[in-house]
Order: sequence, then C-alpha cells, then structure tokens
Amino acid sequence: MSMELLSANHAAATATILAGEANRDARGFGCGVYPITPQTECIEKLCRHEFTKGEVVRVESEHSAMAVCMGFVLSGARSFTASASNGLAYMVENVYNVALYRVPMVMMAANRTLGPPWNIWVDHGDALLLRDSGWIQFFCEDNQEVLDTTLLAYRLAEDHRILLPVLVNQDAFVLSHTMMQTDVPDQALVDAFLPDLDLPHRITDVPVTIGGLDFPHETEVHRRQHAEAMDRVPDVLAECEDAFEDIFGRRLPGPIVPYRMEDAEMCLISMGTTASTVREVVDREREKGRRVGSLRLRMFRPFPIAPMQQALAQCTRIGVLDRNISLGLGGITWPEIMATVPRDALVQNYMIGLGGGDIRPQDIQGIVDDLWKREQSESPKIVEVG
Amino acid sequence: MSSSQEIRLHGRGGQGGVTCAKILAAMYARLGLSVQTFGDYAGERSGAPIRAYTRISDQPITNRNKVYEPDSILVLDPTLIGPELLSGLKPGGALLINSPEPPEAFAERYPDHRIGVVDATGIARKHGIGTRSLVIVNTTIAGAFARMQDLSLELLEETYTSLGFHSNYDAGKEAFDSVWIREALEGGAAQEEAPGQEQPAPAKVIDSIQEHRESLPPLLKTGSWKTQHPIYVENLAPCNAWCPAGNDVVGFIQSVAAGEVDQAAQILATTTPFPGVCGRVCPAPCMEGCNRTEYDGSVQIRGLERWISDREGNPKPDIETPATKRSIGIIGSGPAGLSAAYTLALKGHEAHVYEGEDELGGVLRTGIPSYRLPREVIDREIGNILELGVEAHMGSFFCSTDLEELAKKHDALILSTGLQQLRELDLPGKSLSGVEQGIHFLHRVNLEKPDAMSGHVVVLGGGNTALDCARSALRSGASKVTIAYRRTRAEMPAIREEIEEAIEEGIEIQLQRQPIAFVGTDRVEALRLAEVDMGDPDESGRRRPVVSDRELTIECDHVLLALGQSTDKSPLPETWTLDGEHVQTGDEALRVYASGDIATGEGTVTHAIGNGRRVAHLALQALGEDVVVFERPDRARSVPMTDIRLDHFERRAQNSEQHLDAEARSRHFDEVNQGLVDCGEAHRCFSCGHCTRCDTCLVYCPEGIVRRDADSYRVDYSYCKGCGICVEECPRKAMEMTT
Repeated sequence: MSMELLSANHAAATATILAGEANRDARGFGCGVYPITPQTECIEKLCRHEFTKGEVVRVESEHSAMAVCMGFVLSGARSFTASASNGLAYMVENVYNVALYRVPMVMMAANRTLGPPWNIWVDHGDALLLRDSGWIQFFCEDNQEVLDTTLLAYRLAEDHRILLPVLVNQDAFVLSHTMMQTDVPDQALVDAFLPDLDLPHRITDVPVTIGGLDFPHETEVHRRQHAEAMDRVPDVLAECEDAFEDIFGRRLPGPIVPYRMEDAEMCLISMGTTASTVREVVDREREKGRRVGSLRLRMFRPFPIAPMQQALAQCTRIGVLDRNISLGLGGITWPEIMATVPRDALVQNYMIGLGGGDIRPQDIQGIVDDLWKREQSESPKIVEVG
Repeated sequence: MSSSQEIRLHGRGGQGGVTCAKILAAMYARLGLSVQTFGDYAGERSGAPIRAYTRISDQPITNRNKVYEPDSILVLDPTLIGPELLSGLKPGGALLINSPEPPEAFAERYPDHRIGVVDATGIARKHGIGTRSLVIVNTTIAGAFARMQDLSLELLEETYTSLGFHSNYDAGKEAFDSVWIREALEGGAAQEEAPGQEQPAPAKVIDSIQEHRESLPPLLKTGSWKTQHPIYVENLAPCNAWCPAGNDVVGFIQSVAAGEVDQAAQILATTTPFPGVCGRVCPAPCMEGCNRTEYDGSVQIRGLERWISDREGNPKPDIETPATKRSIGIIGSGPAGLSAAYTLALKGHEAHVYEGEDELGGVLRTGIPSYRLPREVIDREIGNILELGVEAHMGSFFCSTDLEELAKKHDALILSTGLQQLRELDLPGKSLSGVEQGIHFLHRVNLEKPDAMSGHVVVLGGGNTALDCARSALRSGASKVTIAYRRTRAEMPAIREEIEEAIEEGIEIQLQRQPIAFVGTDRVEALRLAEVDMGDPDESGRRRPVVSDRELTIECDHVLLALGQSTDKSPLPETWTLDGEHVQTGDEALRVYASGDIATGEGTVTHAIGNGRRVAHLALQALGEDVVVFERPDRARSVPMTDIRLDHFERRAQNSEQHLDAEARSRHFDEVNQGLVDCGEAHRCFSCGHCTRCDTCLVYCPEGIVRRDADSYRVDYSYCKGCGICVEECPRKAMEMTT
C-alpha cells in the first residue's frame, strides 16, 4: 500500500486501473470514454494507462461510451466509464440498457448541476435522474471512500446473485478536484479481492440474439428477477464489506452512516460531502447539550429502508437535506425518506447548495435552529447559501 | 500552538495557482501531516482571477469548505491586491507577494502582517519555466513560500522531484534564497485595507427579463486580467545565423515567395557581390542550419540564390557619400579581397585591388573548374564590382618593401592573398615525373586550356580541391580516376553533392588509405598505400587515422596532391606579425589587415565574403569612419526547430536542382548543375522568426481581438487576457509574451 496525494477523480481512475488489471488473466479490461467537466481528469488518467490486456476507447459521445462498455462486459471484460450532468442525461438510453441486460460494470459520476444555464458545480440531480434505471448507487464523502467503493462496487456488481451495474458518485470539485492523501492498495491485494470476471451470459462465438421482444409475461419475470437482485444487495454488500476488511484491513461504511445517533432527538439526513459539514454542527450542538445526530445516506439504490427505520426510530425532528430538486415536488430523497420515519416525527425538507454553493457550518446551523423552533413542517424549502 | 493551518492563493488563470497549492500540500504531506488542496473552478479562462487553497493539519481533515480565514496568502499577480484579496487574513498572518517592485512599499502598507516579496516572474523567466509562450510562476513562488514557512530546501527539492518538477528546482531555490521577508510589526495598524470577515456577496437578483434588458451589465475590459501580453517580434532565422557571408537569407527567400524577385536580388546585393558564385559553389551552411532539414529536407537555399542571380544579375546598390574619401589597398583579388573592395566601394571609398595574375578572381578563377563555376558568371560579377569604381592593378607581384610602400600610399592595406603554401608529401619517389600538386594542375586547366591527361590518375586528399582535381582530370582525358583518402567518407571535407557527382561520373574513391611511397624509375608507375584504421577523435572531432602495416599498390600514370594549403607569410615584411585580422609591428597596430583565408583559414567563398566585408569595416572604423562592423550572428540564438509549429506545414520533399547526365557531362567542362526549374522552394521556407502575415494569430485568438494593421497586426490590449494562444500557435516564433 502507498499513500498518494490524489484527487477523487484520480482515486476513481486508480481503483479502476487496479480492478481492470485484476482481470488480466481473464478477458481483461475495456471501456468507452468521453470527457466532461468535472470528470475529465478521471478518464485522462485511464487513457494514459497501458493495460496489460485491454484498451480505453475514445468515442464521440456519452451514449457511445456506454455502448462500448456494454460490449466489453458482455464479452467478458471488466469495464468502467465516467460522466456527469448533461453528459449523463445524453447517456441515459444506454444506462438503462446496461442495467436491463444485467451488465455488471461500474460508472463514476462527478455530480454536477444539469444545465442550461451552464453550471459545473455540485448537485446530485444528475445521478438522481437515473434513480429508476436499475443501477445500484453509492454517494461518497471523501477520496478514500471513492477509491474503496469503486473496488467494492466491482465485487458487488459481479456477484452472480447480483449482476447489476453500480454508479459510484462523488461531489463535483469538492471531491473530484480536491487532492488528499489516499491509500492505494497493491495490485496483489486487489487481485485477491476481485476474482476474474465470470459472466454467465457472456457472448462467445455462438451467435445469440440479446434484447429481442419481451412479451408482458416475460417482462414481468425479468422485472421481478431484477428487483430480487436489488433486494439481495444488502446481504451481499455486507459480505463484500467483510471481504474488503479482511483483505485491505479497513472497513467501509454501510448503506447508511449514522453519527451520534444513539440518543438523538433531531437528525439531519444528507448525502455526499454535505454530511462532513453537518457533523461539525452536530458536535457544536452536542457541546450545547442538544441531542442532535447526523445520518448520511451512502447507498441510495437499493434504498436502505430497514436500516433507516431503525436509525430514525427515536427521532422527533428530522431535517432532510437535498442537494437536488425535483421541480414541482421538492428534494428527491425527501419523499423516500418520509417512508422510513416514525409516524409522529416532524420532517422538514431543505434543498441546500443547489448549483454547487459552498455549504458552510453557519448554513447548516440555520437549518438546525429552524428545526428546533419549528412546530410543524412546511412545504420543502430552498436554502440559499450564496 | 496551532496544529493546523490554511493557505489561500490568488492568481490568474494560466499562472498555475492550483498546482502551486498542490506543491505546498505535497511538502507538508512529506512531513507526515494531513493535507487537502483544491482550486476554485469556474469557466475560468486565461487571466481570470482564480483562487486555490491548501489545508494542513495533524488531524484528519473533514472540512469541505473553501478557506475564509487563511493563515497565509500567496499572491501570484500583484494586480489582484485589494481589500477583497486580504479578507479574512488572520492578524499576524503571512502575505507572500510576487512582484518585481521594491518590497518596502508592501511592507509599509501591511504592518500587521508578515510580508514576503519575491520577483517570481523574473526568476521563472530567467530559468525558462513555462510553456512555449507563457512564463509560469507557480513552482518558483513555492520556493519562496517554503522559506517563509521555515521549510527546508531539502524538503523543497524532494517535493519537486516527487512531483516530476525537478527541473524547476533551481528557480524555486533562487526564490527561496532571494525572497525578502519582514515580520509583522508589533502594534502596527494597517493603514488601509483592514482585513475583515469576508461576507459572501449576495447574488444579484434580477426580477424580470425586462429589468435585465434595461440594466445592461457594465463593460468588462478583460484586458485588465492579463499578466503578460503578446507582441510581434523578429527572431534570428537559423539560415541567417548560419550564413558566414551574413546574407539575409530568410529575407531574400520570403521576397521570392512574395513574387518580388528584384527585391530579393537587392537584399543579396547589400551583403554580397557574388550571388551567382555562391549560388553555385557555396557549401551552404544555411542549409545545414535550416529548420526544415529534420522535417522533410532543408530548403534548397543555394539553388534559390542562383535562381535569383540568374534572373536579376547584380543590382547596383546606392553608393554612399562619405565625408572623407579613403583610399584602401587590397592585395589579392579572391573572394575576400573583392568582397572588401565591394564593401568599400559601396561606402564611397577608393578601393585598389592588386592581383598577380592577369585577371581578377583569385581562387574563383584558378581553383574552381568551369564545370562548377562558368567563367561568364565570374566575369559578370567581377565586372559589376569594377563598375562601382574599384581600381584593378593586374600582374602585381610584391616583395616585402613593396608592401611597406603600399601601406604608406594608402590609408589602409588589406592582405587577402589566400593560402598559397601547398602541403607537400615527403615520401620516397616524390620527385618522380607525373607526381604534382593538384593546384598547379587546376591552375593550368582553368587559366590556360584543358590539359591533356591520360591513363589512370590518382588524387590524394578528400577536400574540394581533391574533388575538383579528380573531376577535371576525368574531363581532361584520364581513362580512370581514383581518389585516395585516409579517413572515412563521413569525414571528407568536400561538399557532399560534389562527392556524389564524382561517384556518378565513375570516379572511384578509396577510403582509409595512406600513401607511403611513389613507385617508378623515372616516371611514376604506381602508388603504395597503407590501410588505415580509425582511432579516437582528435581535437577537430574527426577520428584519428591509425596507419596499419597492411599495404597495397595501385598502378597509375599521374598522382595529384590535394592535401591542403596554408598561409604563405614569406612576402610580408619581417617586422610585421599577423594576429588574426590584425597586423602589427611589435606592439604597434598597423593600418594593415588580413582578410579571408590568410586570416581565418576557413576555406570557403562564403566565409571569405563575410570576412572581406568585416575587415573592410575594421579598416574604416580604425580610420574614424562611422561603421557597424559585421559580426557573424550567434547561431545559438536562432529559432530552434522545437519553436516551429510543424502542424502548420505540409511535408513536401525538396525540389532538387537539375544536373546534366553523368555520361554526358564527364568529358567536357560544361556546367553540370543546371539549377532549379522554378522558385517553388521559396514556398517551403518556414520563415523562422519572421512574420509572414499568415493570419494564424488572428484566426486562433479566442477573443477575436487581433486585427490586420498595415504590414502587421494590431492587438486590442483592452480585451487581450494574455492567454498566449496566438504566441503558442504562431507557426514561426514571430511572437512572444512579455510583461
């Protein structure tokens, strides 16, 4: 292992290179890439790497990038791509194809606001556009977590009980372009963690037709199988986390990351790096003797209903912080979280940091103060951080 | 004792601020501390104000915010200094400014802060750090910051090495050593710009599109962002730097390219009376220097010079009228003497040329055969010199007293007698009939009439004289000609094309052969040669020949010696000593100069032309005339190949000159080289360092603020952000960035 000063873009690329090399004795690695701010540095690093077996194909669009990845995986290679914002939007058709063909690959999204007008900063709306696409989704909080989750994602995706693609999200710039010391594992350890990709439906030299017409009764079966695979994720994920800890000596957080939740009356729920700032405010509140906790939603799909219900059971005041907006509704995670909170809790939705503003502790403090004095919840509120 | 600190950098897009922040972080990471570093990203363009940040802590860093209350601020561009820049800086915090200004001014302004001032831009420029067009200061200022933070030079060097910047370490070290530091003053009060909490500016709310229309944003003069700006410059082209005669090569080629052949001829006439001669016999160092050589073959410059001369002849430049008309005597009418005479005549002075032969031209006439240099070309160019009023005195041979008299008669005397001493070969049989100096043979062939040669002629030597002897012998009736040279072909000093043409004509070249004896009773019948092995390089860089004991004999009827020539000082007065171009008696400098081979031994027409002009200048200067003495340009200063944007140029092979067929040419003295068919070669010229109005700068400017203006371009500096793209894209290095 070596400690390197890496951006989260490079952390994702580094993990991918390790994972790709780990499949060198099987069908290698191959992917299609297309640049977009703020993930370009990630694919640039991939393009610079000469894989022992495999190649990085530079295509003309995100739609083709995903198509190339799909082809690689279906022929047995490990694959990866990265995108963001409107690039992801352009890719959507093939994003669905990858999930519905049960293609176990990994994608990184450096979450960026959808335009126009153009904005390059963080907002989770791009990944949440893919909410119903059938991909597993993680939201990371720091560079190490990006690297580790990317490795974990391959093992989870390729497990025969799952066989689903995984989207590993990182906040634009706040992570993608921020360099921090990151522990990079040796190839031998990654080789041990990631066995050769064994795809049951790999295309061989026997011609087959894939994705022909599915009649309603067949689609019902396929959807049920896909949903059951999603249902199996929590258990398989736990196994993967155990294996990860065995091999790399550190444990990844689970689907939700509670902080000082033991006796919390109030809980602020968030995704990505917002949680780091929330924890600082939790500490300040705790110093004042107020029972506040933080809960970070790390796995967004499948949605961790049971762990959330359990973690929130004693909370009476819940703030749901969305760095996204479903226009005409409110924060996208809010109604989902509503399904997991105690019946009598006061739940208020705040959309904060839309378009990538710097969410500072005083901004979170304002939410905490609002939540303490609130007698009833209102419609979702947009908090401007300027 | 604080266990963490926060650093904020202010710079402009293109200065490398984000990388600078990374260098700082990497230094602390090497000390085992946790670090975090990032930039402010936007649709930032070159020159736009940017910020970058570094956090350092002995605890894991979880702060995801920007830095609002820094412990230190680095300012990469001093024009950014203002109240907003200093906002949040903690009292006693450090402020490091990149500026060439005297540091005291900043020190007075910020008494509350620890101040460092360093001219990082100047240091980076000196060390050549940056892209092809822009100076980049990030690595340099990091060195100054290391010093302010009491970090060690070793740490700085290790960090640069680990990041792959080791070549920038010297600049970083210079900044480390030279940064001016003043501690925060106790009780000092900031005179202005008291730092305070930064209040994020509230976003401007535009209530309706109507209001937006009525309140147009203020004009943003993006020119205020720039730290550097582009200018049009003329840089030394390698052809010009390589030309020993000092011709404006790129100038005449570009004139041809522009269809102005008469102008090209005039450009040549300012520096040389011999474009027709040099266009034929010059070894063309310009073509060796040509940046096109590595790309697809050099421009055929010699051919173009001849092409111009064949069409335009020798235009007569304007003759100056000096205040005092000087009289200068010139001994010898070779290219050096005639170049000196031409220079003096153009300056309006009297030039008297003394020549021992009956015709002017020296080696041009006696040494170079007419199949290379037709007599009519020599006659035309010398006639042109005489038309300028140069006086020729033929059949003048001198003894030492004559020279002293001549020196008194003229205001100055220039000796340009060339290399008259022929190298002998002290071997058994050297006096046999049929063994003679090649120069004597050439003299007969060139001045009298074609000598009758017969049988097998062996020429000893590898220079141009050897080649001239061999090819002239063939044309004079020799049935077979062999050149024997003691080193390898790569080391033959002769012009490459001459060697190739000789081989085409059937001349055999035996390499690594050292003569050891001439064999025969009365007349030479054979030559004994030893095989030579090549040893280590000597001081000239050529490998030293090592004579072996393996011998061979070739039968032959004639042997011509072409082993080199040296200066013959015997006609000089005993008291005169030659010191390069100067002649003196004891310590007293005489108004007597030496020019051409006698002074330099460089042995080519082009060198002689340049030196003749230079020595004429030296003589005039010593007489008090206002003259700029010609100096050969420094080749190292010329535009290197790496500065040419090759993407802008199509690969196109050189247009070769037309030659008479080897079979047809080798039995008579008609000119072998028929020259270029057209002047298309001029369009292959990169025009290194010389703007051709190609519009690349105009086309590539992302701001659209480069406009054509008379013969050049005009940049609207009020909108130029100093991105450097025009300079980067200039195909020929005719632009540069300046501050």
